[in-house]
Amino acid sequence: MSVIVECEHLTKSYGNLVAVNDISFKVREGEIFGLVGPNGAGKTTLIEMIEGLRKPDSGSIRALGLDPTQQGDELKEKIGVLLQSTSIQPDIKVKEALKLFSSFYRHVPNNIEELMKMLSLEEKADSRFKKLSGGLKQRVAIALALVNDPVILFLDELTTGLDPQARRNMWDLVENIKTRGKTILLTTHYMEEAERLCDRVGIIDYGKIIALDTPRNLVNNLSAESKVTFNIEDKDIDASKFKSVKAVSQVQKIDDMFIIYTDDENNTLQELVRLADKQKFRVSSLRTESPNLDDVFLSLTGREMRE
Amino acid sequence: MKLRGLWQLALSEFKLNLREPAMLFWALAFPALWMGIFGAIFKKPMPGFGYEGLNYANFILPGGMGLTILASAFIGMSTTLATYRETGVLKRLRVTPLKTSTLALSFTISQIIFIALGIFVLFVIGKIFFNVRVLGSWAALIGMSVFGMITFLALGSAIGSVARSPRAATVITMLIFMSMIFLSDMFLPVSLFPTWLQPICKALPLTPLTTVLRDIVYGTPLNELWQLGIIASWLVLGSVITVKFFKWE
Repeated sequence: MSVIVECEHLTKSYGNLVAVNDISFKVREGEIFGLVGPNGAGKTTLIEMIEGLRKPDSGSIRALGLDPTQQGDELKEKIGVLLQSTSIQPDIKVKEALKLFSSFYRHVPNNIEELMKMLSLEEKADSRFKKLSGGLKQRVAIALALVNDPVILFLDELTTGLDPQARRNMWDLVENIKTRGKTILLTTHYMEEAERLCDRVGIIDYGKIIALDTPRNLVNNLSAESKVTFNIEDKDIDASKFKSVKAVSQVQKIDDMFIIYTDDENNTLQELVRLADKQKFRVSSLRTESPNLDDVFLSLTGREMRE
Repeated sequence: MKLRGLWQLALSEFKLNLREPAMLFWALAFPALWMGIFGAIFKKPMPGFGYEGLNYANFILPGGMGLTILASAFIGMSTTLATYRETGVLKRLRVTPLKTSTLALSFTISQIIFIALGIFVLFVIGKIFFNVRVLGSWAALIGMSVFGMITFLALGSAIGSVARSPRAATVITMLIFMSMIFLSDMFLPVSLFPTWLQPICKALPLTPLTTVLRDIVYGTPLNELWQLGIIASWLVLGSVITVKFFKWE
């Protein structure tokens, strides 16, 4: 896969605040790359430098082979951007907005009707932007970002402020867009979102990328343990029974409920099933909690990721 | 392609003006009401205005045009710019290939169409109810109107660029708007004002604009060309401030 965005040693300060501090990374063609981190970590400054909205103090950017500070006009023809918490004209109707924005580009291969269909906006074609719900506004913003059929799509805080249902719909939509061969660079402060959507994530904190890999590798490289919880109701079994199970470090028993900590979830589960079979007890309400990107952030920074 | 962007944006902004109650009131209803009310109160030809034989409605018609231009260009441009900047509309437009010059030109065209509509309404009312007449050249009247529009658009965008928030833009605009109305010759000829106040009135852009417009309506030859110079100076001032202080976000 070829590299589509390349940043080298990017730095940007506002007064004394170093918003982006010597960041280098690459985005490959066709992937969803996520910049993940708490608010104020520098995600938006970084993404807006690549879009050509801000000028880096030092370092270099190549996006689609272009330098955003020198060839911004050329670049803007080929990218689609969803900015963080910006609006369009409040009284403009959805279809008017799509028509308006598509008139700004040289090539507009996307048919507006099809675009509205893809984003389920047909019913809202004549609604004013300000009357739409948060989720619908974001969908319109995505539609506007797609009018020029961009090669790269930038999504800054796509789901911030949306309710869980709208957020899930948004994720489906982004995955759908990815299957159309677009490269997506997104920022989020929801670890769950990064885990679900991104092929690779860069965890960013205080203007630096402190880890960069696939979500799975980031989690696997943690020495954090999984938590296995289940109930045994038909037989009285002592907690010590599970101590000897492979990879288990700790067992707790609360009434019928057992909580097992393990650093090898698969093996522990297999052994648990075997044990239940042999000793004739029934395991119910089994669930596991694997470490996730939140734990990765915690272990890297010693802080919880909070909104 | 680029031209399409220019027209689409101008058209959109024009339509959005029509959906904005404040704009409808200040730019369309207010001047029309003003002319209707004063025209009806003073139906007889008035002595002392220097234009014997024509009624007061004819005197205030150019003032009404000035008012429409002032209200729409000045209020419309300053609040639109400040609001679009605050809500990120300008920033969103900036990540498209739309050029700054295209953006400025589109906003200007949309306002000009809107003001033209307001002036048209004014003429229709004037014609039907007060039989107003234009004795001078229509081409000069239109040219002068456009000159005035561009000047006040520049001043409006200067305030929109300088003001920190839409609220600040509205307050500054309304203050200047009101003072200019009372210090112009829209109601009375400036020669009836106290002598110390007259230079101030004449230095503000609205007075020369209505005076020149009135001369054209009355068919009096334009002999005070310095009035155009005053308007032009305001145009330059507005443009310089806009270019210097305009921010995208």
